[in-house]
Amino acid sequence: MVTIVVDTKEIQADDGKSVLQTCLEHGIFIPNLCFMKSREHPHASCRLCFVEIYGIDQPVTSCTERVREGLVVLTATARARRLQQAAFKLLMSAHHCRPKACPVRGGCQLIRIARHLKVGLNSQPLERLERAIDEEVDLGLFTYYPFRCVLCGRCVHVCRQRTGHNLLTFAGRGLKTVVALFGGGDLAAAPCRHCGACATVCPTGALVLKGEQGRAASADSSLRAPQIPPR
Amino acid sequence: MNKQEIDARFVSIRREAERRAEHRKREAIPTIYIVMSTCGLASGAAETKHAFEEALSHKGIQARIVPVGCLGHCYAEPLVVIDHPASGFPPICYHQVSAGRARVLVGSYLEEGDPVLEYVLGAMERSDLIPSVMDFPRFSLEQRLVMEHCGHIDPDDIYQYIALGGYSALARVLASEPAEIIHLIETSGLRGRGGAGFPTGRKWSLARASETGGNIAICNADEGDPGAYVDRTILESNPHQLLEGLAICAYAVGATQAIVYVRAEYPLAVQTVKRAIRSAKELSLLGPGILGTPFDLEVSVFEGSGAFVCGEETALIRSIEGRRGMPQHRPPYPVEKGLWGRPTVVNNVKTLSSLPSIVQKGGSWFRAIGTASSPGTAVFSVVGNVRHPGLVEIAMGTSLRTLIFDVCGGIPNKKSFKAVQIGGPSGGCLPESFLDTPIDFDSLRQAGAMMGSGGMVVMDEDSCMVDVARYFLDFTQKESCGKCTFCRIGTRHLLNILDRITKGDGRKEDVELLATLSEDIKNGSLCGLGKTAPNPVLTSLRFFLDEYEAHIKEKRCPALKCRSLTAYYIDLEKCARGCEVCVGCCPVEAIFTTRGRKKGIDQKLCVKCGECLVACPREYDAVVKVSPPGLAPIIERPPDEEKSVGGQG
Amino acid sequence: MVQDIAAMLPAFERHRGNLIPILQAIQERHSYLSGAAMKMVAKHLGIGPGEVYGVATFYNQFRFQPPGRHRIKVCLGTACHVAGGEIILENFERKLGIKDGETTADREYSVERVVCVGCCALAPVALLDDDVLGRMLPSKVEGLFVQFEIERQRQEREKVARESGEQARD
Ligand SMILES: Cc1cc2nc3c(=O)[nH]c(=O)nc-3n(C[C@H](O)[C@H](O)[C@H](O)COP(=O)(O)O)c2cc1C
Ligand code: SF4
Ligand code: SF4
Ligand code: FES
Ligand code: FES
Repeated sequence: MVTIVVDTKEIQADDGKSVLQTCLEHGIFIPNLCFMKSREHPHASCRLCFVEIYGIDQPVTSCTERVREGLVVLTATARARRLQQAAFKLLMSAHHCRPKACPVRGGCQLIRIARHLKVGLNSQPLERLERAIDEEVDLGLFTYYPFRCVLCGRCVHVCRQRTGHNLLTFAGRGLKTVVALFGGGDLAAAPCRHCGACATVCPTGALVLKGEQGRAASADSSLRAPQIPPR
Repeated sequence: MNKQEIDARFVSIRREAERRAEHRKREAIPTIYIVMSTCGLASGAAETKHAFEEALSHKGIQARIVPVGCLGHCYAEPLVVIDHPASGFPPICYHQVSAGRARVLVGSYLEEGDPVLEYVLGAMERSDLIPSVMDFPRFSLEQRLVMEHCGHIDPDDIYQYIALGGYSALARVLASEPAEIIHLIETSGLRGRGGAGFPTGRKWSLARASETGGNIAICNADEGDPGAYVDRTILESNPHQLLEGLAICAYAVGATQAIVYVRAEYPLAVQTVKRAIRSAKELSLLGPGILGTPFDLEVSVFEGSGAFVCGEETALIRSIEGRRGMPQHRPPYPVEKGLWGRPTVVNNVKTLSSLPSIVQKGGSWFRAIGTASSPGTAVFSVVGNVRHPGLVEIAMGTSLRTLIFDVCGGIPNKKSFKAVQIGGPSGGCLPESFLDTPIDFDSLRQAGAMMGSGGMVVMDEDSCMVDVARYFLDFTQKESCGKCTFCRIGTRHLLNILDRITKGDGRKEDVELLATLSEDIKNGSLCGLGKTAPNPVLTSLRFFLDEYEAHIKEKRCPALKCRSLTAYYIDLEKCARGCEVCVGCCPVEAIFTTRGRKKGIDQKLCVKCGECLVACPREYDAVVKVSPPGLAPIIERPPDEEKSVGGQG
Repeated sequence: MVQDIAAMLPAFERHRGNLIPILQAIQERHSYLSGAAMKMVAKHLGIGPGEVYGVATFYNQFRFQPPGRHRIKVCLGTACHVAGGEIILENFERKLGIKDGETTADREYSVERVVCVGCCALAPVALLDDDVLGRMLPSKVEGLFVQFEIERQRQEREKVARESGEQARD
């Protein structure tokens, strides 16, 4: 156990645990999408979890920083906020948000983060980005909505953890990256366990189990074991 | 294993190399060296070689043809050096040797002894007969360390390299302790030439510290910068110097496996390196038990599949592991946990190629070259609007002005200098006022550019800086791996904004938006690609803000480059009646005949390729390019002509 | 194709690190990667086919459709861009009625953009199959197609001549 200070609050934390996880476990929210406890190496792709740490001249991602004795963390400095908000705006410019049509309704992590950052769900002053990818992809058991996906990779990660294979993978590169199942939805041939874990960990409404269009989704699912729906 | 035994093994190899060199000299027949690297081949070196062979056999002349690597003088390609001892002339370098010139040279020089002065670039040695290339600024201001032997030896003949002292540094290293070598490199002050300039000795000692009994050494020859071809040329011209450096590195860091990561788009480089590895293995200079010592080094080539981001070391490692080349958060650094989880040292081609001479001549010798904080030399591929483009190696600390104006001959066609782009997509554009900046890691970074991997593009007054920024953002946006938010989405926004500015749809808030967004992408991205991607935008905003404003406020491109903001028209005063040249050259038949058989351009059809401007005979010079397009006078297509479009014009 | 690939695979050790070399070898022989090919590779290496697909789609080198018989590559490296490479690309696109990355309906030509083919001193540069065409101009693009047309007609004539010759012999 070591003692660290987060925004003037003193916390007893496990040495070596990530700053983000420590804060979340102590009820201090830092925006995050790609963090998962079970990821041995932090993915660090969403770039929402910026904080400032005393002694480091630039804001850093809290999911990649490890707790050590005497660490002083500030979660809401102007510079950290600026990056958090910028990352959020960028995500929203590529995430087509239509709350009425959203399967996860209020449960979306993006809404929670917007509220925390005190910004709207639009991407002003950035324009909405259009991309040449499909609106909706049938993945057999699921439906995938690329324009809602934030490429946090949580689904890909749990899938590999559960099955030992990358049934779900990223495909393409850059802005055209999507989550894909090779050969579309032909899951019969693949060693899919139909566990639905991937849809459960999705922080947005991008990966949805068919017939489950009303799920109150993953409120902070990073700290919750994904629920496994009955087969 | 002691020093004597290693020396004894190596000396026998060295003797053989010297014997071969001696034998060549004694033969006293002319030798024709032909530059056969990619740039030479692209300019027709293969046909030149063929023409030499034919002419020689036709005339029954005895001569040896030696394909060599690049001399760096790409402007004069195909380059040929003829050493004809019997003629009394020193070896002579010829430029632009086409097949026709090759035949003339065989007839006049080899047969009759006349060296055909009008094809001569210069003599390779000082003599009274022919001015020597050594006295040209392009040669005398250069200082060649990494490229010392490039273009002088056959890359496929390992003995030629050994005869010049090659592999003796490795023999020396094998008789020392790894710690001594690391210490030597630390004292030499060598910094990585892959872009960031990290001290090589420090990197090695970190790797040594986490040694597991099987470290890995990787040579990074991914070179994805769209305007640089330094590393490829070195691989094609002198692969053994690199392999020797790689073996030295491997020995020092305790690696048993080494990989040369070359892009698959560089087939000649891949093949040359593969052959070089084979011949070094045959002489026990690589492979198991090098020179009889217990040091084993398995060397292989990995062909990169063409993703710029794979030049980044963690992405490079992922791609060798057969995964998507997405960068990983560091730490852990590759020197702690790299390829297959083993400590891995990644070094650039130029870094590794510098090692043999440092080992031979010592750390203080190296320190004496260049500047205190950046010792050694820098190699650039200088292209764009300069008279003598090609590869240039200069001591660090040389000013940009010397490099561009003295070494490379300045700007051709009586144009004036506008900017120099250094470091490719991660670097920036520097204006005239920065020409006295010394070339070294820190000064360039301070100026907002970057050493990068050696790309340098010189631009004259006809280049639009907004367009150049757009070009690089288009590149990085396509090459972003897509992992992290700032780079994946942010670079696309930058591109979109730049796109609309160059199309004349810029908004007054765009400059502000570009600046803020660039700053955020720089601070927020995960890897070096994203962190440096905004540099072309930031530097052009800083130095060429007036151009952005002209595009946005006046819808005008000052350099007349952005096609949506320019128009061509034909000055009726100047147009010669009925010369018709422009009509024939227009690819879209936009040029019509108006009153008095003069010509006009249909602005709706014109695709602004500029062909008519080039085609219009110089004595008329009637085609005019203007910006904004509204400045072009409207010339209506006469109604009767409209019917006969595509008829005889 | 499937048989050929099946014959190639055993030469590669079943090691994840061989994934990219295998894909390169297949594309080298068959000019593109088909879905069936990727499935076979996955099976050989004992990984999911999705993984092979995910890796292959990341890299510029891999194609999933066969290219045209003649591959036209237009360099848009920095030097070529400054020298107007885009205008050259546009001319090819207009002439063939396709966009970069596409193949004509008769599978005769495909046009793609490449970055720096390493002879910047000759910018702007285009490649026709393996031949480097330096200092390109829109009119040279026109000229190229005239040449193609002449070549095609010559082959046609030769074919007719051959056929009629054969008939005469019969
Ligand atoms: C986007 C990106 C591209 C890079 N490309 C190259 C490259 O083409 N060649 C290279 O040697 N290093 C490249 N690097 C730098 C490498 O990550 C690494 O720092 C370098 O190979 C280390 O070698 P050095 O210490 O000899 O410089 C690149 C880095 C980034 C972020
Ligand atoms: S589908 Fe959901 S969980 Fe998967 S990457 Fe996209 S946003 Fe993340
Ligand atoms: S900065 Fe760009 S290239 Fe680097 S990890 Fe992020 S998305 Fe990938
Ligand atoms: S949670 Fe740290 S970057 Fe996504
Ligand atoms: S930029 Fe076209 S050949 Fe280098």
